[in-house]
Amino acid sequence: MKRLLAALAFLALCAPAAAQAPGDVASDLPAGVAEDSITVSSDYRGSYVTVFGVNPDRRGRGDIVVVVRGPSESAVVMQKRRVLGLWVNGDPVRFSEAPTFFAVLSNRPLRSIASAQSIWRYQLDPAASAQLETSTGDTDPSAYRAALVRLRRGQGLYQEYSSGATPDQRGGLTMYQGGLFRAVVRLPANAPIAQYHADTYLFRDGRLISAQRIPISISRVGIERRIHDLATNVPLIYGLLTVMLALAAGWVAAFLFRRT
Amino acid sequence: MIYLPIAEMPVNVLLVLLVSGGVGFVSGLVGVGGGFIMTPALMFMGVPAPVAVATGASQIAATSFSGIMTQTRRKSVDWRMGMLLSIGGIVGSASGVWLFERLLRLGQLDLIVSLLYLLLLASVGFLMLREAYHHWRGREVQGVSILRRPIKTMAHTLPFRLRFPRSGLYISVIPPLALGFGIGGLAAIMGIGGGFILIPAMIYLLRMPTNVVIGTSLFNVLITTSLIVVLQSAATQTVDLVLAGLLMLGGVIGAQMGVRLGAGLKGETIRGVLGALLLAASAKFLWDLVIPPTEHYVLGGGLG
Repeated sequence: MKRLLAALAFLALCAPAAAQAPGDVASDLPAGVAEDSITVSSDYRGSYVTVFGVNPDRRGRGDIVVVVRGPSESAVVMQKRRVLGLWVNGDPVRFSEAPTFFAVLSNRPLRSIASAQSIWRYQLDPAASAQLETSTGDTDPSAYRAALVRLRRGQGLYQEYSSGATPDQRGGLTMYQGGLFRAVVRLPANAPIAQYHADTYLFRDGRLISAQRIPISISRVGIERRIHDLATNVPLIYGLLTVMLALAAGWVAAFLFRRT
Repeated sequence: MIYLPIAEMPVNVLLVLLVSGGVGFVSGLVGVGGGFIMTPALMFMGVPAPVAVATGASQIAATSFSGIMTQTRRKSVDWRMGMLLSIGGIVGSASGVWLFERLLRLGQLDLIVSLLYLLLLASVGFLMLREAYHHWRGREVQGVSILRRPIKTMAHTLPFRLRFPRSGLYISVIPPLALGFGIGGLAAIMGIGGGFILIPAMIYLLRMPTNVVIGTSLFNVLITTSLIVVLQSAATQTVDLVLAGLLMLGGVIGAQMGVRLGAGLKGETIRGVLGALLLAASAKFLWDLVIPPTEHYVLGGGLG
């Protein structure tokens, strides 16, 4: 209970956070994240994103959906084909936009909260968030869309929860008394390091009532940051540096070898 | 555990050190570079193939530089031949990096790397086993008897001949250039140094005396792998400095231990065991390509 009180106090502080509600929807849903910036150092092994919020409806009507989204990037899905007895990749289908991380949490199954159209419109599940590139030829894109979701789910990059966190799950959404809710998502170490968003939605009778967007930044710090910055900003110097390190290591080895 | 900044994954430091130390140990024991064991070992550990290939090259550069330091003291590097091989190697590895980048974009890199490794490990493993077998039977390896015959090869008949005083040769520049080109290309795509292909080729094809072969090959390997590291950093940004450091550390320590232990062991026994291991690894590559996959779709076109 103490944690909840702390969360409430925290919410009071972060309630005026900038809201980016879709279209005509209200943005009076108080919500916040436990950490709005996550740092990646050399001991990084993934982290957790915790979203707190309160259902503004005094009688607690409605359903809460929380979506944690990573940046969208293009993706290619290929199908394995048998060529001369070997399984090789073929028939690529390109997605111009696909979330690199996507976790959707709700207090009960999403399909019973929102209609299929709403799920598609507000991009509430990973399949709805993947945009196909226009020309797919004669291949059936739905199988590829499903495969994209299945593969990324297998990598822990796409997650779906429709109940509170249990010991065998990595995340979940729990409702408390007074309309308070808490959503926890495990961010695996392979999730991209970038700008994320936590979007909180209030649905009532299948209609979106209110929404709130909170930015979460994930960034490298310390040596991790320096190495990555070098590698992306001055790749040539970075390469020369690696070669120099190699030469130094080789020289030290030869020196030690002569001594013994 | 340590988080790799380029591979974007955490790895177990101890495991990487153990693997690189083990590979270094084997290479010290047998006298091969070890890139062709290190790169697949990294891939089996879950490091993305592009990162494994590009980062492996930096470790090979370290090993070959330490080898050269020892060889130059013994004056066993044919610099002129080394330069010629390296010119071919520079063009070859540049083309290799370009091809690597194309294949990565097409989503076919994994297939090509697997196929090349399958062929390479199978043939090297077979040769090692055969050598061990002949040694065990007390016979001479066929190649050695060929070496003693003063046959003129292609290298002696082609035009643009050049004198190589250190090797005592007067041969065409085309075979060394072509050899360097081929090895450089393979090195860029597979993350190998190529010494174990280059050395037999120098002996049997170019007829170089054995005492300069190792040093000269090391020189060529150093030049091409250094260039590959720089080019891969610039073109694909898949060189992981942290992983490279760990590999160098483990590889160097392992190699020293291997060299010392190797002095007291029978070479043919080691080669026999290693040959069998390589054949088993190539069988694994074949198995993965032949069995029907449980998941018929793959993500492609990038590091994912």
